[in-house]
Amino acid sequence: MIFEILAVGLIISAILALFLDEVVYSVAALAGTFFFVAFIYVLNGALYAAIFQFAVGVGTLSILFLSGEMLGDKPVRKTSPKRTGVLVGIGMVLSLPAIFLSVSGSTTTTSDISIADALWNVRGLDVILQAIVILTVALGIGIVLYEKRKGGQ
Amino acid sequence: MDFVILSLVMLAIGIYGLLTNRQLLKVFISVELIATAATLNFVMLAASQGFGQAFLILAFSTDTAVSGVILALLVIVSKKYGTSDIGKIIQMLQDKGESEDEVQ
Repeated sequence: MIFEILAVGLIISAILALFLDEVVYSVAALAGTFFFVAFIYVLNGALYAAIFQFAVGVGTLSILFLSGEMLGDKPVRKTSPKRTGVLVGIGMVLSLPAIFLSVSGSTTTTSDISIADALWNVRGLDVILQAIVILTVALGIGIVLYEKRKGGQ
Repeated sequence: MDFVILSLVMLAIGIYGLLTNRQLLKVFISVELIATAATLNFVMLAASQGFGQAFLILAFSTDTAVSGVILALLVIVSKKYGTSDIGKIIQMLQDKGESEDEVQ
């Protein structure tokens, strides 16, 4: 039962994140989406995934809050309670297929590998290359913003 | 309860938002929802094993890097044009192009 409640909450918060007019409320709804996803991970035994979801979610959301305050255009109209209710209703309807339908079939998993093995022994090269890519991206963003600031002055 | 369909619905919502929203921050939120739907699929299909969670960590790392690029571009575009509305930015670009054509 709890999975169904989480699924409904997930879909509703995703819809609210996209279609509320105020950016700050949208980001709050996105926080709800991340929370529901992390809770689903915890209930399925994927604790590391839940912790990572929380950590990345908090970082992303704090940046989004700042960006929303800095860059968000003031909405012409505020979201009315009626529109919010309609969005919640649409979310409930859209979550019905996930509750009542199934396409997965039976999945048999044979390999029993720990997360540390999966990360370092099986995908170790991926992890190192990805770290290089992320460092390059971070450096590139810093250079672009610095050049932009320098050009502006 | 099927998590494949749940992630499919989330993916559909994200793509719809990506196509219909005109505000850059909302577009970014749509990209985040699409990434969350994909990682939900990864983890739920292999929740009990290390593979699903390892793939989530790799996918989220890439997603965070992509988010940084998108936000940097968003800041630059918003500062340059004074708005984060895609429609207004396109209109400004079109007006600028027409005025350049008239000068030539």
